[in-house]
Amino acid sequence: MPREIITIQVGQCGNQIGMEFWKQLCLEHGIGKDGLLEDFATQGGDRKDVFFYQADDQHFIPRSLLIDLEPRVINGIQNSEYRNLYNHENIFVAEHGGGAGNNWASGYHQGEQVVDDIMDMVDREADGSDSLEGFVLCHSIAGGTGSGMGSYLLETLNDRYSKKLVQTYSVFPNQMETSDVVVQPYNSLLTLKRLTLNADCVVVLDNTALNRIAVERLHLSNPTFAQTNSLVSTVMSASTTTLRYPGYMNNDLVGLLASLIPTPRCHFLMTGYTPLTVERQVNMIRKTTVLDVMRRLLQTKNIMVSSYARTKEASQAKYISILNIIQGEVDPTQVHESLQRIRERKLVNFIDWAPASIQVALSRKSPYVQTTHRVSGLMLANHTSIRHLFSKCLGQYEKLRKKQAFLDNYRKFPMFADNDLSEFDESREIIESLVDEYKACESPDYIKWGMEQDTGEANVAAALDSKLVV
Amino acid sequence: MDDHQTQDLVKELVHRLLSAAESGGDGGGGGGGGGGRDAGGALRFAHRLLSSRLAPAVLPDEHALAESIKRRLAASGRPDDALTFADLHSKLSARSRPASLWPLLYLLDSLSSHRRAAAAASCLPNLPTAAPPRNATSGAAAGAGGKRAHGAAPGGVVLVSKDPDNIREIALREYTELVLDETEVSEAALVRDVLYACQGIDGRYVRYDKAGDAYNLPDGVRVPRSTRTLVRKLCELGWLFRKVRGFISDNISRSPSDAATEVGTVAQAFCSALQEELSDYYKLLAVLESYSLNPIPTPGSDSGVSGYYLSLRRLAVWLAEPAVRMRLMAVLVDGCRGLRGGAMAGAIHGHAQHGDPMFQEFMGRLLRRVCSPLFEMVRSWVLEGELEDVFAEFFIVGQPVKAESLWREGYLIQSDMLPAFISPVLAQRILRTGKSINFLRVCCDDSGWADAAAEAAAYVGTTTSRGGLGYGETDALEALVVEAAKRIDRHLMDVIHKRYRFKDHCLAIKRYLLLGQGDFVQYLMDVVGPELSEPANRISSFQLAGLLETAIRASNAQYDDRDILDRIKVKMMDHGDGDRGWDVFSLEYDARVPLDTVFTASVMKMYLKVFNFLWKLKRVDHSLTGVWKTMKPNCIVSSPFYKEGTSIRAQFVSVLRKCQVLFNEMNHFVTNFQYYIMFEVLEVSWARFSDEMDAAKDLDDLLLAHDKYLNSILEKALLGERSQGLLRNLFELFDIILQFRSHADRWFERIYELQLRGKGKPKSKSKESGSWLDGGRKAMIQLAGELFRKMGEDLDSIAKDYTASLDAFITQLPMQQHVDLKFLLFRLDFTEYYSRVSASK
Repeated sequence: MPREIITIQVGQCGNQIGMEFWKQLCLEHGIGKDGLLEDFATQGGDRKDVFFYQADDQHFIPRSLLIDLEPRVINGIQNSEYRNLYNHENIFVAEHGGGAGNNWASGYHQGEQVVDDIMDMVDREADGSDSLEGFVLCHSIAGGTGSGMGSYLLETLNDRYSKKLVQTYSVFPNQMETSDVVVQPYNSLLTLKRLTLNADCVVVLDNTALNRIAVERLHLSNPTFAQTNSLVSTVMSASTTTLRYPGYMNNDLVGLLASLIPTPRCHFLMTGYTPLTVERQVNMIRKTTVLDVMRRLLQTKNIMVSSYARTKEASQAKYISILNIIQGEVDPTQVHESLQRIRERKLVNFIDWAPASIQVALSRKSPYVQTTHRVSGLMLANHTSIRHLFSKCLGQYEKLRKKQAFLDNYRKFPMFADNDLSEFDESREIIESLVDEYKACESPDYIKWGMEQDTGEANVAAALDSKLVV
Repeated sequence: MDDHQTQDLVKELVHRLLSAAESGGDGGGGGGGGGGRDAGGALRFAHRLLSSRLAPAVLPDEHALAESIKRRLAASGRPDDALTFADLHSKLSARSRPASLWPLLYLLDSLSSHRRAAAAASCLPNLPTAAPPRNATSGAAAGAGGKRAHGAAPGGVVLVSKDPDNIREIALREYTELVLDETEVSEAALVRDVLYACQGIDGRYVRYDKAGDAYNLPDGVRVPRSTRTLVRKLCELGWLFRKVRGFISDNISRSPSDAATEVGTVAQAFCSALQEELSDYYKLLAVLESYSLNPIPTPGSDSGVSGYYLSLRRLAVWLAEPAVRMRLMAVLVDGCRGLRGGAMAGAIHGHAQHGDPMFQEFMGRLLRRVCSPLFEMVRSWVLEGELEDVFAEFFIVGQPVKAESLWREGYLIQSDMLPAFISPVLAQRILRTGKSINFLRVCCDDSGWADAAAEAAAYVGTTTSRGGLGYGETDALEALVVEAAKRIDRHLMDVIHKRYRFKDHCLAIKRYLLLGQGDFVQYLMDVVGPELSEPANRISSFQLAGLLETAIRASNAQYDDRDILDRIKVKMMDHGDGDRGWDVFSLEYDARVPLDTVFTASVMKMYLKVFNFLWKLKRVDHSLTGVWKTMKPNCIVSSPFYKEGTSIRAQFVSVLRKCQVLFNEMNHFVTNFQYYIMFEVLEVSWARFSDEMDAAKDLDDLLLAHDKYLNSILEKALLGERSQGLLRNLFELFDIILQFRSHADRWFERIYELQLRGKGKPKSKSKESGSWLDGGRKAMIQLAGELFRKMGEDLDSIAKDYTASLDAFITQLPMQQHVDLKFLLFRLDFTEYYSRVSASK
């Protein structure tokens, strides 16, 4: 009865990071490119059946669905060395192969049309597991397929598997450079609504920050997608280590999330990872102790979400929760010392309205992957500064919306037919109130928040109501 | 001079001297005429001399005088005499008061120099007799005594020496007569009797007096007092001999069957050693007896007699050394009475600590004999693990016990049997080495120790055969023991670690009993959970065993060694009325021989305690995650209640917030408590144990390390004696949390039910606006309002209880003695939230 997790990778970006993730998992578990266990992979202790199952011929198959509306990336996977890894029944490519044209509405609409096929696949996978823990969705929020179709899937999963966890690894677009996708703000906003309402946990992977890290920390002048994706796969695999290497605690996703997400709406997590290396790059070896790792994880430069906060607001930002997953040979006695140091130096700013602490999970490192450093760490944090990311999205949306730009593309689809743009407005409301809630978390009075404010909130609700009634 | 006694003595001296001089013949003719006058005059002269306050014109410097005598002797070609003199002088000055010695020395010196001067001058002996009065009256008499070169000297004293033969003869004769008068037993007879007595036989006169417990001359026998004393003194030896012989015959001459049960080998060795000593003594007595046949010369007739005769005085000299030895033996015999084995050897050893080389040599000889059986026992114990101790003499005793307690209780050191020359540390090591061998033989079914023992023996250089060691070679013994211990312990550790995989089992216990294997614990919790909610008496442990197997198969435990997995068993504890399965379920680990020496029943009981505690904690954790799952984000955030009217929405938000905040606080507590348990308790203790395990050189170290490990877990996990109050408090908190869980389950079930009822409408929204206000929805809203109100009340009361209990717990925490509990507080109050809350109160 492993707590199985089914991964659904949607769209170009989703499939790319998904593939990197599976590569990494195979490497860590000693599973070959064809799914067969390598000869050297004899040291047990790892749990492969959370993410894999074994076919009749003993080869390991990822519990993974590959979904895209255009064939390019999936074809690439099917022509790669890893073509035999996946279950071919789990690959869905739209027949027309035309993609979603970076249009959320298109993706959403197409999702609606093919949902039966996809849900058949999901059901089959779910039936094949003993005690399904939940789903992991990999996608980007800016494009068409990952965002639109992903949104539709989120709604469906929430509906169909309401008792199962839904976690997403959502890639946020790079906002430092001009994107070729001009409707990015629209897509992001609409997806964010689903991430707020229909996901239990969203791990935010900010392309802006990933690029920054690649440039600043890894000294790559012009990071490729492959390189940033390897960062993503590192984070994804590290965040699942406690599930794959069972220990005294944090052996299931729900346990992990329960202490990270105390309030249901604030379920957007930031990640930080240290020490970072990219493939084939010999990084300079640093001293890695638990304290070093934990301290570095708290530095903003290592965090994979860019903070757009002005300094004044940044100082008010607070951690709601932190989980540090430390991998490698760690002396457990060091943990306490490190925590003590961090507290003494006041390196973390926690919320005032409830007890909080830095949680530390020690996890084994794969014996099959050689690294130059002894200890590595991943931080999963629920930090209020993430609201600035949403504010930024909102701001860009407002700019575009004011101009009424590019809305025609959306009006083509049922949801926005008859110039019904209420979906945009509703999404904006929801994101705004999400931003507000995060902001409220920074104050000690959060517990009473939303109740005193009843009038304002009620107005919103009333507005919604009235809209619904109309 | 007012002393009458002195005056009488002087008077008698004068009379004797003068009368002897008269009767001595005409040698003293010069003074003979004036015999009567002389006596009076001499007496007066003596009086004057004695009462005069004149002192010789030399300083009473004894040292200088002694030096001058020595020098003179040496100068006159008699260095031997000089040495003898120096020796005598030093002995004498050591015994007497210094003041009394100088005059004596001075007198002797004066006499000898006078005699020399007289010899040189060929003076006639009677010459000076006339001189004294004149000299005395001249007043220079005292000064003259000091000057040897003077022809004239005080005559009174010189007179004796000047008339040796006659006076001596007479005196001796008189003395002999006097002695004969007082004596009715000849000295020769007494000597013979004393010799008899010394062999423990009654003589003619000297008999054993039972009443006085001594050999004695009966009062009826008339002998001089000095003789009587001397005889008594000499007969002490006989008394001692009797004692020693009695002891030996007590021990040896018993019937063999008797001896087998009563007399130990050490005692036998002791007796035989004593006997050997006695045989020397017998030889001496035989010689003395032959001497005693030679007649004792009468006083005065010092020529023509063999020198090898025995008088009582000579006997006293002969017997002085044997007496010392015999006295020692008697003391030993007394000291050893009633003792056996090691205790006896120890008692004897106690007497051997003596500065006298003779003592030491004698005791060494004796102890070597006495200790050889003991050392032999040590050797065979240390190298073969055999307890060859028929007479219960060894300081290690074996007890018939079950294999599992062989190590802990099988063998003990009897401290009263432990001789002092074996230090307690060494004794412990000896005990452990033999114990290790027996442990290997009995519990581990191993024979590799023989090689280890042989190797040790070869290394030390003693053969493994018998009798290689003796007293005085304690160093060798220690070396042997140390070497054997080292090798055998190493071998034992090897066997324990390699063959019985001690560490693996410890790890298995840590994984399964201390819940280290998280996935396994989770599945077990999942599968047995429903079962355990039943009343305890309705649960079949058979079924639970099946579920355990399921959990093993489902988790990574399946890859574990089958041998280890087979040892995990379900154990149902005794249950009372009203107990649920949760209260009685536990796991146990079947350690089996030989590891049950470490994991004894009582140790397993402690593990059980820890397991129950951790299991409870896990259960609470499990329930809390369950709560989170029922109110997880995507169920709540998209709840239709968010979209409902103002009042119900506000109610919903408020009640939900309360629930979340309470959940968060509980979760914070449970999670951090678990982190504390994991890092500060289990992992840290394990890390320490693991180090000590690797460092352990013998099983005792290992046991100690393990005990420490387990105790540290118990202490830190609040299971110790001192933290019982805290533990009660903790369980209270757990109960509240479980209560919260069951409430939450009900609430959210109801909420989702209501949501379902209201569903369908929002879905089909906009189209049928009229149905929004239909009765069903109103009723739903009303029900929801009711539910939220009730929920809010329940939440408040749970929160109140919880806060009170938590407060109590947190305030109690700093008062605990255990340092590590501070870590718990540190974790719970990491952001100082609780400090702030309590400060603001």
